[in-house]
Amino acid sequence: MNDTYDKHILEVSNLCKIYHKGKIEIPAVKDISYKFHNGQIISIVGKSGSGKSTLLNLIGGLDVATSGQILINGKDLIKMSRYELALHRRFLVGMVFQSFNLIHSRNALQNVTLALAFGGVPRKDRKEKAAELLKSVGLEQRLYHKPAELSGGEAQRVAIARALANNPKVLLADELTGNLDSSTSKEIIDLLMNLNKEKNLTILMVTHDIETAERVSDNVIRLKDGMVISD
Amino acid sequence: MNLLDMFSLGFTNLWRTRLRTFLTLLGVVIGIAALTSMVSFGTGMQKNVEDTFANNDLFTSMTVTSEEIDLEGMMHDAMEEDTVQKQSIPLNDSLIQVIREIEGVNTVFPEIWFVVKLEIGEETSSTNVNAVPASMGEFKPYNDLFAGKFFDNDSSKEVVIRWETLKRLKIIAEDEDKPYSLSEKDSLDGVCILPVDSILGRKIKVISAVVNAPQIALGGLMNIGADNQPFKENISEYVICGILKKASSFSNDAYKGGIVIPMKTARAIPRTNFTSMWNFFSKKKKKGGYNSLYVRVEEIEDVKFVKKELEQIGVKVFSIGDQLKEIRRVFMIMDAILGAIGTIALIVASLGIINTMIMSILERTREIGVMKAIGGSEWEIRKIFFVEASAIGLVGAIFGLILGWMVSRVANYVVNTSIMPAGEETVILFYFPLWLVLGAIVFSVVVSLAAGLYPASRAARINPVEALRHD
Ligand SMILES: Nc1ncnc2c1ncn2[C@@H]1O[C@H](COP(=O)(O)OP(=O)(O)OP(=O)(O)O)[C@@H](O)[C@H]1O
Ligand SMILES: [Mg+2]
Repeated sequence: MNDTYDKHILEVSNLCKIYHKGKIEIPAVKDISYKFHNGQIISIVGKSGSGKSTLLNLIGGLDVATSGQILINGKDLIKMSRYELALHRRFLVGMVFQSFNLIHSRNALQNVTLALAFGGVPRKDRKEKAAELLKSVGLEQRLYHKPAELSGGEAQRVAIARALANNPKVLLADELTGNLDSSTSKEIIDLLMNLNKEKNLTILMVTHDIETAERVSDNVIRLKDGMVISD
Repeated sequence: MNLLDMFSLGFTNLWRTRLRTFLTLLGVVIGIAALTSMVSFGTGMQKNVEDTFANNDLFTSMTVTSEEIDLEGMMHDAMEEDTVQKQSIPLNDSLIQVIREIEGVNTVFPEIWFVVKLEIGEETSSTNVNAVPASMGEFKPYNDLFAGKFFDNDSSKEVVIRWETLKRLKIIAEDEDKPYSLSEKDSLDGVCILPVDSILGRKIKVISAVVNAPQIALGGLMNIGADNQPFKENISEYVICGILKKASSFSNDAYKGGIVIPMKTARAIPRTNFTSMWNFFSKKKKKGGYNSLYVRVEEIEDVKFVKKELEQIGVKVFSIGDQLKEIRRVFMIMDAILGAIGTIALIVASLGIINTMIMSILERTREIGVMKAIGGSEWEIRKIFFVEASAIGLVGAIFGLILGWMVSRVANYVVNTSIMPAGEETVILFYFPLWLVLGAIVFSVVVSLAAGLYPASRAARINPVEALRHD
């Protein structure tokens, strides 16, 4: 179709997000512009409160920007209806969080099938597909474990499998290794790198670990007070 | 996400908090039970009354009188002699002939009532005589007797007696389907149960009172000796040929007369010239003619036309069929009041649903945030909660109906065993028509959905960023 969209899966321009706390305005993201290339791993680093999560949530369609543009597949997120945003979250992006955010009452398999259900996968195909996804993150032995019965690393793998359920173009990971020890963190980062290679998945990850960020990423965005600082 | 997914999600959630779900459900169950048993009581009463009317052919019957029976008029007449006397049509045999010719009229005969004393063996009892032509044998209730047959001839010496009248004469006609057990009092009174065969064909004495004219004329001055009473008795003897069924508790026995005697036979019984105190004191002189005529039409639909024709002749017509609308209206108001009481219970239950749903949403905020993050739309999340609410409504309605039905059975049993007199036909006080059953289910689901409206939209509006913020 269009080469530019293919090259730039995601394009952010003049993005602003201002929170309001009573009458006080809190700008969390200030005028950020960036072009994300397809198939890259991009890390976002910065001090706490610099607006990393906010930027990720805006791209993920969980939050709505105050002004600017977020183009994904040629469509502007800011102009989307709430239902279109739901579809965006469902099919175009997958999100992983520091605190896993698995549903406690459902086992690993059921956490993944829920995402498949939202994606419209027929009931009979879901279990097989979910098992396949869990296998691809190395969890074939833990299908029927509830989140409480999983280690942090395993739980994060389930979250990754769930995020990938509907074949998203972009994976958004917000400090996904923040709750994990360094060796487990490395395993998870390796998993992401594999996924990036195998599926040509664009990955956008927020991290505090600048060393790893520089090692694995094609590009590192440094944020300070909601703005990109160039090095 | 299809409906089945919503159901399995909803069910899982309800099951997860089963105690709370059960308690909420219990509220709905009680609400629906109260609502349905109340309304079924109302419809049961209505059905009883209407069935009784239909069984006695009242909807196709009319009573014709020459003037309106109004008490005020009578008082008036008593003071000022006949000043407002209307030109009234005498109800005589030639009028009967005219009425018989009206299209749709099946039978016309004068209503003749008088009080007699009945005697079988040693036992006596007073009752009203109902004089009926043999031709009425083809209609209710005469075509469906408890035992025996209806007389087939207007001057026959056979009579049909009511089951209750026999009971007053200390004879219980045996009913093979419903054995009657004698109470202690019954045995003391000498009541006995007899097979119908031994009752049919028995002789019964009908004793009427006749004014002893010479004695009245003498003003009772020479009031000596047994024969010098102002009234003397006339005894006629007949054969019992049939027994009328027990009346339901909703009909008035006294109105019908305890014994049915063929028309001509009854008219031949000598009796005083007044049928009631009413007539005795009435100043209006009837130049011949009857007090009232009974008119039976072919079909219920004929009532309207025949009534109009009769009114054109200048007589007054009373028909229960006419009152049916009014009766139905009264019952509708009663149903509405009973239903409103039941609805209050259901509304209280719906507050329970709202409470439960809001609790559940507060507990599941993060879960809802997750569902949004993985692509759940607001409408889908709303539907998940709607399904939960309507499941409570549906299951609550089904169990509520079962509970309501059981309550009504118990109430019915209690009424029939301890309130109704023994030997009475059992009554069904509660009636669950299909519309009530389906209506209760639909109503319960609708109320539950309404209760789920606010919680569901609250769930749908949850901000996923806030819900997912790690704590
Ligand atoms: N809902 C909100 N209302 C008001 N202010 C907010 C809200 N969410 C975030 N902020 C503010 O926006 C700024 C950026 O927050 P954000 O969560 O994006 O930081 P972060 O870079 O992810 O920090 P951390 O590394 O601690 O996760 C912070 O100053 C925060 O206080
Ligand atoms: Mg953050």
